[in-house]
Amino acid sequence: MRRVAVIGVGVTKFGKHERTSAELFASAAVDALADAEIEPRAVQSLYYGNVVGSETEKQLHMGPQAASVLGVPTIPTTRFEAACASSHAAFRHAVMEIASGVSDVVLVGGAERVLNVTTEESTEYFAYASDAMWEQTLGLTFPGVFALVARAHMAKHGTTAEQMAAVAVKNHRHGVLNPKAQFQKEITIEQVMKSPLIADPLRLYDCCPFTDGGAAVVLASEEVARTRKRAVWVLASAAASDHMLLHDKRDLSRVPVTERAAAAAYRQAGKTPADVDVVELHDCFTIAEIVATEGLGLFEPGTGGIAAEKGWTSLGGKVPVNPSGGLKAKGHPIGATGASQVAEIVTQLRGEAGPRQVDGASTGLVHTLGGNTATVLVSLLGT
Amino acid sequence: MISIKEFFDGARAGTLTALKCRQCGELAIPPREFCVACGKRDWTTAPLSGEGRVTSFTVIRVAPRRHAAAAPYAIAHVTLTEGVALLGRLVDIPLERVTLGMPVRFRLLSENGGPPAIAFGPA
Repeated sequence: MRRVAVIGVGVTKFGKHERTSAELFASAAVDALADAEIEPRAVQSLYYGNVVGSETEKQLHMGPQAASVLGVPTIPTTRFEAACASSHAAFRHAVMEIASGVSDVVLVGGAERVLNVTTEESTEYFAYASDAMWEQTLGLTFPGVFALVARAHMAKHGTTAEQMAAVAVKNHRHGVLNPKAQFQKEITIEQVMKSPLIADPLRLYDCCPFTDGGAAVVLASEEVARTRKRAVWVLASAAASDHMLLHDKRDLSRVPVTERAAAAAYRQAGKTPADVDVVELHDCFTIAEIVATEGLGLFEPGTGGIAAEKGWTSLGGKVPVNPSGGLKAKGHPIGATGASQVAEIVTQLRGEAGPRQVDGASTGLVHTLGGNTATVLVSLLGT
Repeated sequence: MISIKEFFDGARAGTLTALKCRQCGELAIPPREFCVACGKRDWTTAPLSGEGRVTSFTVIRVAPRRHAAAAPYAIAHVTLTEGVALLGRLVDIPLERVTLGMPVRFRLLSENGGPPAIAFGPA
């Protein structure tokens, strides 16, 4: 297999936009191509992530649509849907296209538009990633899924609402340092604890927002990457799945799919959790960050809440997690999230993250979760 | 094999039926072709008592559009006495009385003529 590098990244401002998802993606891709110093005609294929566009934009066949808006309508392209992990799944397949020798320059990205519909509608569309016959019929929501995880984690490990709130406070503090973030304001533990309940025990500030946005990264073979000064190597890109249905999961306090994807990624890269300098992980809810830090092996099972409370995951802490602000503050345009997380880690490893830079970071980890803890992608990047 | 329709037809009549692997004894909520535990495809059926205990729960306060009128409502992960789990709506239990470990019993949820779904009420 050939080595693969990221040679360019681009992300739109996250928040509310009056542009289609294809326009948002294309805008991010223009920045990524400029960053990579690659002409659009050099791109050989596009791997594209989007999730609820068939509902919010009444749009299918989004690969050719995105490629057309960008101005590269003739390249092979396919939309990937793996719930909130869509563009990270796209990334892994693009890595394999280059590693296998099929292509030398591949564009990966994604976009989502959801703020053009009501919260009740988007809550329903996001719930389509849970099972239609067994779970949607109950009125299960995504906050509800992670509320079940939170309750189980609290009962088993004594994790507290204040520890979960510490995740939100930390990610908002980081988000202040990211001009692309949807929220650039600090919040307090008290604000989190007084915010309205969404799905007990999760409150409004335990939840990431609905977000419009796009992200893109340019992948290249070693031969192309060697001609670039700021290439960042893909050390590993691994995926794992688990039972779709929550009723088939016996211990909701754990997310074994993260453990499996992480083990595969560390094995591919020949790295251990101790080698990781900076992490972008899937904090769709505060408890999701806590269980992810445990599943990735950064902290012992049951101690993720303590790590958040002690500041070990803050910028300047033992293992800075979500310097971008994470899904919580940066925002979560679901089809774009994985690519945007890769973009942040690439920016960190280049030493170009400005006030949110993790000093001397040389190995970074990207973790993206999809659905009812049924899909996880973990990639490791290095200089 | 039991199809989803057959499972819920049974549930409507008050009976829950699981699949039981004849090779290794593993129980599964249908539908399932191969046994996840042993990889074989040799099922028989096993009745479920419908009795279990709450292993996790939440109260949904911001609901999907088509369930908005019912909110707030509780959803629980219930581990049945046979060891398999089912997710269900909690009914006839005040929201503030729901606790982990609480014994509950299966009943059918049929909301405004919507599709059948699992619910649990007081044991």
